[in-house]
Amino acid sequence: MSASPRSAALRLLRNRFVLVPLVLLVLIAGWNVFVLTHNHGIVTGRVVDAVGRPVAGATVRLWVFNFTTFVEQASVTTAADGSFRFTDNPSHNIQISAEKPDAGRSERIAVRLYFAAQDRALPQPLRLEKGS
Amino acid sequence: MRRRRTFPVHLALIAVSAVMLLPFYWVLKTSISGDNIFAYPPSVIPRDPNPFYYVDVWYAIPFARYFLNSVIVSGVTIAANVVLNAMAGYALTQTFRGKSFVLLLFLSCMMIPFQATIIPAYLITGRLGLIDSYLGLALPLFSTIICIFVYKASFDAVPRSLIDAARVDGLSQWTIIWRVMLPLARSATATNVILSFIWSWNNFMWPLIVTRTPEMQTLPLGLARFLSYQEDSTGALYAFCIMVLAPGLLLFLMAQKEFVQGLSAGATKG
Amino acid sequence: MLRRSTRRALLIWAFLAPSLLIFLLYRLLPLIWNVVLSFQAWSPLKPAVFVGLDNYQEMLFDDEVFWQSLWNTVGLIASAPIGIAIALGLALLVDSEIRGREVYRTIIFVSYPLMTVAVAIIWRWMFDERVGLINYVARSLHLADAPIPFLNSFTWALPSVIVANIWQMLGFYMVIILSGLQTIPCNLYEAAGIDGANAFHRFIRITVPLLKPSLFLCFVIGMLNSVTSFDLVYVMTGGGPGRATEILITYIYKLGFNQTRFDYAAAVTVTFFILLLGITFLANRLSGGNAGAVVRD
Repeated sequence: MSASPRSAALRLLRNRFVLVPLVLLVLIAGWNVFVLTHNHGIVTGRVVDAVGRPVAGATVRLWVFNFTTFVEQASVTTAADGSFRFTDNPSHNIQISAEKPDAGRSERIAVRLYFAAQDRALPQPLRLEKGS
Repeated sequence: MRRRRTFPVHLALIAVSAVMLLPFYWVLKTSISGDNIFAYPPSVIPRDPNPFYYVDVWYAIPFARYFLNSVIVSGVTIAANVVLNAMAGYALTQTFRGKSFVLLLFLSCMMIPFQATIIPAYLITGRLGLIDSYLGLALPLFSTIICIFVYKASFDAVPRSLIDAARVDGLSQWTIIWRVMLPLARSATATNVILSFIWSWNNFMWPLIVTRTPEMQTLPLGLARFLSYQEDSTGALYAFCIMVLAPGLLLFLMAQKEFVQGLSAGATKG
Repeated sequence: MLRRSTRRALLIWAFLAPSLLIFLLYRLLPLIWNVVLSFQAWSPLKPAVFVGLDNYQEMLFDDEVFWQSLWNTVGLIASAPIGIAIALGLALLVDSEIRGREVYRTIIFVSYPLMTVAVAIIWRWMFDERVGLINYVARSLHLADAPIPFLNSFTWALPSVIVANIWQMLGFYMVIILSGLQTIPCNLYEAAGIDGANAFHRFIRITVPLLKPSLFLCFVIGMLNSVTSFDLVYVMTGGGPGRATEILITYIYKLGFNQTRFDYAAAVTVTFFILLLGITFLANRLSGGNAGAVVRD
């Protein structure tokens, strides 16, 4: 006459006070796994000039938000195909800018991440404009 | 005929509901878009929704720490409340010498609001060495008279015949309490849990008085403190407000009926 | 070993002891200490000196802030009936036989169990001069030409706090009145209808008198809530521009923890407590006695 353990467990699961925390825990665990596998702080992108040609040898700077302003954290040079790669961005709120002495400089692009040191490949290339 | 009559009632109630929900919607909207801080006139639909204010809050404020503190203090308070109040409620169902004195004592303590005791309570907590500790935060709310009387009423409602039958069967006092009376007092326990949760979770004044270090602050305190650090108009502050409201709101939505019943029982004193 | 009756008595007192200890420690003892302290002059590092009625004298005759706080507190108390009246209307609407009344009830009630600190902050933003919704609505409807600094003006600060308080308490009042409404038997209305009473008469002659206990309960709770609404005032205005929203309890807090004048704060606390007792007693009397307490043995 007693309920089998399986049906008892199912009934417990349907109780909203068990179901909701369980679902929340699963979501939190899933999110944490995602964060842990994607937080190497790698930011990649490309630099192009005003007409769209890749620019090699441009200096790309990474600015990190520090309480009230952005502070320069690191800088790398673009490779031959205009791509660059930062490897240890610690923050969730950064800006990227690029410049090359005779090709001009780009705007500072704000990059907002979902968690600190999220790996991100910038969707749009940085465009160098002269005389800005 | 009936259908036509209900339309204006619905209209009025929808208007009132809109007024009641509008502040929440406003804060929620600002927390995901920041429009009306930087743009005037503000818009009804968020213009550029993004979750980045929540990310800012997560890294700027020790939300997890505040949440943990609130959970610990509330958990301790709820557990202590259920135990202490059930014990006292049971004791009050028995007759013993000095019972009327005890009842009088309880009734007079019910008349003393917490606010009339803050300064000496602070001094006493200091003397006990409990300033800035979880126990010091939770202790004043370990037992409340309203809940004792709720338990008493619930225990009184257990039919005498049941207890007598149990006693004839040879059960000891303890077993009677544990196996017979407590299961029948489930609603009193639910009321007690809800009331003590609300009072301890939302408590602002006592943590304000008793905490010294930022690490021991509870959620309401953290929220109010953040307000004084930053200027009011920051998207992060609105996001923090939503994050602070979220647990309470979730619990309320899960247990609406129990909340309403518990809170009105607490008001009408059982 | 022990006699059974002694064992039983010990058990009972053991059950009562922890709660009694808490109340002794955190209710009774502080109250007595406050009363004693109010007759002394005491700074925390020096021994206490008995000074008789000096603190009370200063409070009543030399302290404008005290009278301002008292006045503001009375103002808050007097605003409770407004909320109760609105809640009465809402309860009547929700009580009628419409679909979805549970949903309406939940929506209206949701503001009550939330943190008063959060409610205070939300309304602080609503009333804000630059970004507040209230100002925006007022200007769109051309009720005002320039933004009104609600929380910074001497005339609008206290009403703003009152609005926030009513918003929070509305659902609670409504729930209490609803449970009161449900105790009124339907056949009374039917009988009155047969006798030719219209809806208005039915309301005045049947509903209101039978709702009296609920309404008085709402008033007592509303009054207690207003008088002890430290959270709301402290976070929303901090006491207001100047002392425009200072209520007794925020004044006591500032005296005790900003100025460390424990002795003077104790005197104000005792007055606060007497005021509270007085009003509760008065409300109890006016409602015909025993409107709140349910304990009988």
